[in-house]
Amino acid sequence: MTHEGPPLETLLHRLAETPAEFLDEPKIGSKGRVHVDSVVADLLRLHGAAPTPSEMAAFTGKDASRDRNRLAVTLLLTWLAADEWFIKHRFSAGTLLPLLEGTARDLAEQTVAHAFLTDPDRSEEITRITLARLDFRPEGESPAQAQDRLTSLSATERSRVIAAARAAELRARAIREALAKKAAEESADKYTRE
Amino acid sequence: MDADPQPTDLDRYPTLTPAGQRLLSFLKEHPHAPIYRNESGNRLLPEEVARVRAFESEVAAAAIDWRAGKPPRWLEEFTASTYADVPHYRRQGVPPVRFEDIPSVSRADLSRDIAAFVPDSVPVERMINFRTSGTSGHPLLLASHPVVAASYLAFHKRALRRVGITLLAGAGEVGVVLIGHQKKCFTYVSVTPTMNEAGLAKINLHPDDWRDPEDRAKYLDDLKAEVYTGDPISFAELLTLPVTWRPRALLSTSMTLLPGLRQRLEARFQCPVLDLYSMNEAGPIAVADPNSGGHVLLQPRMYVEILDDEDRPLPPGERGEVTLTGGFNFCLPLLRYRTGDHAALDFRGPEPVLVGLQGRPPVRYRTTSGSWINNIEITHALRPLALPQWTVHQGTDGAVTFRHAGMDSLNTQLRQILQSILGDGLRLHIEQQDFLDGKVIQYTSDLADPATS
Repeated sequence: MTHEGPPLETLLHRLAETPAEFLDEPKIGSKGRVHVDSVVADLLRLHGAAPTPSEMAAFTGKDASRDRNRLAVTLLLTWLAADEWFIKHRFSAGTLLPLLEGTARDLAEQTVAHAFLTDPDRSEEITRITLARLDFRPEGESPAQAQDRLTSLSATERSRVIAAARAAELRARAIREALAKKAAEESADKYTRE
Repeated sequence: MDADPQPTDLDRYPTLTPAGQRLLSFLKEHPHAPIYRNESGNRLLPEEVARVRAFESEVAAAAIDWRAGKPPRWLEEFTASTYADVPHYRRQGVPPVRFEDIPSVSRADLSRDIAAFVPDSVPVERMINFRTSGTSGHPLLLASHPVVAASYLAFHKRALRRVGITLLAGAGEVGVVLIGHQKKCFTYVSVTPTMNEAGLAKINLHPDDWRDPEDRAKYLDDLKAEVYTGDPISFAELLTLPVTWRPRALLSTSMTLLPGLRQRLEARFQCPVLDLYSMNEAGPIAVADPNSGGHVLLQPRMYVEILDDEDRPLPPGERGEVTLTGGFNFCLPLLRYRTGDHAALDFRGPEPVLVGLQGRPPVRYRTTSGSWINNIEITHALRPLALPQWTVHQGTDGAVTFRHAGMDSLNTQLRQILQSILGDGLRLHIEQQDFLDGKVIQYTSDLADPATS
């Protein structure tokens, strides 16, 4: 967050106006339509970098259940990083790829992609993270202010994720225990058995 | 206090009347009754009885009018609610815009973590389980509910109506005998509240479950059940007994019922014999109807696709994996669930039909001339025979081992049939066995198939 970047509102507005192509289904095997690797390659070229096939391999999923959300987040980050302000600064592949790959993976593990558009806090979080990974902070904020706000947003989300994971585990345990009870084992009448 | 108390009869039969109790006593204390080894019941609460009856009316009246490329109207809402309420899907975000982009799931997924497929909105207190050992290496423990179990009957009634039968059994009568024939079998008696407490007996024909094997026919004759349900193995055993009672219908599930055995059963019991395609994950899905050329779908809220290996829906007439969406088990809503069974869809009649239904993935066998045939050709060739169960295995040297639980006298005919499709000079070993172990994998081969390897 060394450098002052564009106004936060500008990027939030850009995120809110994400075009349909960047919200479409990532291509994974026979499913989806958007070739995320091609979109990322286009972004790198806009920044003057030359994408290599091995770099792009990370942006083709194999398993839709596992890779879909990560690639959907990558598309949102790609759209943000294609803002004119960023293009003018021409980032290298070495700066952009960790954002589009590792940061996307981290965000996707905690949050479903559509929440970055529908939940104001998550919109702000992904926007601030994009700025931070490129070593910028929102216009008008000191580094400390920017860091505090991002930490606060991420901590809130982490707490939510931890609480949700705990609730999910309790629920899963309750289901497994219910199914193992004597009454459940006796099952119930069916006219036919498989 | 015991955290997991033994269920009581009040849990098993919450609405039991004195008349129902008398029927239970009759079934259990009959002088020719088998040794009932277990206990279970309908578990239906009064309000659930009404709910199941209403569901039966709904199923009876509903049309199944979706077609290829024209999915049912309920599909979009069902998909959205499943993505919102089921942990496995909620983790993936919003549903894809195109239904075809939803990744399929398989038995292995359910087997890995069944809790992830149970909607958060379903209370756990009254859950029951359906347990299957399975033939695919993935034993399953499925979440269900007494209302779901009782709702099977709605689809049986829909299937029976196709052959002009309306179930009539009521108080003081036996509605159904579920017939098994296994070394170990869950056996018990109950009553069906939605049928005015008609009786239900789940019995095992294996002689070990009877004080005297002669009692089997006597008991069945005295019960005068409206319907017998079972599988080809138990029905083949039933044919060996001197039963004189004529039920109004037989329902066969669990494995392929060959036309030869069906015809023998129909001739013997003078009633329709229905072959149901049914599984624990989804309940009764379809019923065989020779006039329709396959298995006619039974569930109005079940969408069926035929998928290739890449989850792409295949057009009508093309064979692929039967894949299910929807269903009536509210504890386990299915979304593109791959059944492991293969068929093609046909829409020429009023309802969708599964054509050439075969359990498990197709296996190919090498003929003596070096060509390859699909296992469905063997099934077709065996149609005239009354085989209850069989397996075919081809070794790396091309030799074929055929095991069956039919009569020894069929061996010569079997040899002729198998040589006619697999070629003269086939090294063939035929084994007749009294029992094949449970749900065996029917078709296997050690040969590397050039089409898949």
